[in-house]
Amino acid sequence: MQEMILMKDQVAKLFTELSEEYNVFAPIKDNGYIAYRKITNVEEIEFDYFNSKIPPKEILFPQMEVLFEYKTDGKNVIEIEDRKDLDEKNLLFGIRPCDAHSFVLLEQFFAFGNYQDEIFLKKKENSIIVGIGCNSPKSTCFCTSVNGYPFQKDDMDIFLVDLGDKYLVEAVSDKGRELIQRFAWLSKASKADVKKGQELAKKAEDLITTKLDLTNTSECLESNFSNKIWEEISENCLGCGSCSFLCPTCTCFDVIDENAQYENRGRRIRIWDTCQFCLYTLHTSGHNPRNSSIERCRNRVLHKFSYYPINYGLIGCVGCGRCIQACPVNNDLREIIKKINNIKTKEEENIIA
Amino acid sequence: MPNPYIPMLTIIKSIVSENQANDIKTLELEFKNEEDYNKFNYIPGQFAEISLIGKGESPIGIASSPTEEGTIKFTIKKMGTVTSGFHDCNIGDVIGVRGPFGNGWPVEDMKGKDIVVIGGGFAFSTLRSLITYLLNENHRKDYEKITVIYGNRDPGEVLYRDILEEWKKHDNIEVVLTIDREVEGWKDKVGFVAPIVKEVGPSSDNAIAVVCGPPIMIKTTIAVLEELKFKDEQILNSLEMRMKCGIGKCGRCNIGNKYVCIDGPVFSLAELKKLPAEY
Repeated sequence: MQEMILMKDQVAKLFTELSEEYNVFAPIKDNGYIAYRKITNVEEIEFDYFNSKIPPKEILFPQMEVLFEYKTDGKNVIEIEDRKDLDEKNLLFGIRPCDAHSFVLLEQFFAFGNYQDEIFLKKKENSIIVGIGCNSPKSTCFCTSVNGYPFQKDDMDIFLVDLGDKYLVEAVSDKGRELIQRFAWLSKASKADVKKGQELAKKAEDLITTKLDLTNTSECLESNFSNKIWEEISENCLGCGSCSFLCPTCTCFDVIDENAQYENRGRRIRIWDTCQFCLYTLHTSGHNPRNSSIERCRNRVLHKFSYYPINYGLIGCVGCGRCIQACPVNNDLREIIKKINNIKTKEEENIIA
Repeated sequence: MPNPYIPMLTIIKSIVSENQANDIKTLELEFKNEEDYNKFNYIPGQFAEISLIGKGESPIGIASSPTEEGTIKFTIKKMGTVTSGFHDCNIGDVIGVRGPFGNGWPVEDMKGKDIVVIGGGFAFSTLRSLITYLLNENHRKDYEKITVIYGNRDPGEVLYRDILEEWKKHDNIEVVLTIDREVEGWKDKVGFVAPIVKEVGPSSDNAIAVVCGPPIMIKTTIAVLEELKFKDEQILNSLEMRMKCGIGKCGRCNIGNKYVCIDGPVFSLAELKKLPAEY
């Protein structure tokens, strides 16, 4: 399909036409950080941004989410109410390629096996992703090491390229094509616009300097489960959990009941949890299968780079670099991977010796 | 597909205190909707997420056997908020149930074999389910000799006393009870489970051993079973793990790339040896 042009000053018009049908989520400035929020006014949208602090995963898998609500007669439950808002349509605007890819991983995970997480899946089904290429990736970005690149559009419905005062608009999926066709007022892109987009893509890719070789990482992780290297890797980890709370592919949650005691009602909610916390795996008996930070750090890395590939045939990391930016002790996932890749097998060591 | 986190509602039909300390109770639950009961098709060894709505949810092994129709049973030790809540319940109270979850004991693969059931302490509930199932008149002919070895700290901790006596009356079953230290009036064995298994000496020929209990008991018992020439594939364990969802989504029950809630809780020793020792 022919690329189109959306002038930045036309976004307001676009928003007006969309907001009746969709909950529009877009990047805004929230307490000094970029965050994806449901917008009510197009003025709120932040057009000049790198990426959000908390990944847009929170739109479809929020930090706190109601599983169901209930009414009691003071002691016993008398009625359970299911979620009623899952059919609402969502438009996610300005999603970066790494985060767009995270939705593919999340969907794969929540649909996997005999049990489907309908809460996430329904929301995902009712969402349309309008993504945008990264003109200037940061030093912590490493999407090109995990099968991505700054202008990767495959995981989006509509792909935008920021050309300064305008966007180059391309429909990627049928869903995206259908939506674009509704806006007859969009102008066609010129050859120069398309060429500029290609140049930006090339320039962006050159800006990513990290190049990790993940070819053998999964096997390497599996065979080095008991390697002493994990002591070194986890030595300065504080167990704060920032890496996983800000990770676009982390899905773990806790479930608790919240009661409005005097109103005879309540709700069961899920809240993000992390394998970096000691309580996460603590049995009631006091036994804890992952009792120290060695096991917990190892679990995070293996989950993304070994268990994910084994279970779903995908790498469980999108290379957004949020865990690297947020770590208070500068533990760098890229360095961890390099250390793992550099573990020599006994045979290799013998040859060298 | 419906919201998988919504429990079915059941009513407590009976409550039995199982031990002298009165911290283990068996709740018998009846489904509020018959449709839910009909959908609740389970095999021994599976578990359910049972909840006291307003307090929370816990994964608990199903103590009843599918052959005991009409209700389901859970044996619960009073430990934390939710399990203490269950202990405070009365007949008629409402309990939420989601499940059945997990793989359960491989009752089909166990057909035609001698079954050696070894249990210690209160981890006996899904073994109760299994033995009840095996002894059912429709199933008994499918299995050969049944040996049950069940150990406890003292006589007051022995669960399901009435049903244990019933089992003894069946043919081709050996029920061996043991307690850790001698107590006046105790007529059965005295000693830890592992040496008693050695003493009983079940044959490993065409047999499956099912082992459930505290980690130290499992460890010592497996050593004895290996002496008795049981192969890793012939030894089954049921693992416990902290869980929230029961459907492989909340994350915490993983051992390597497997989730105890959906890939387990039953694993053969051969399978466990392939997994990292993070359990």
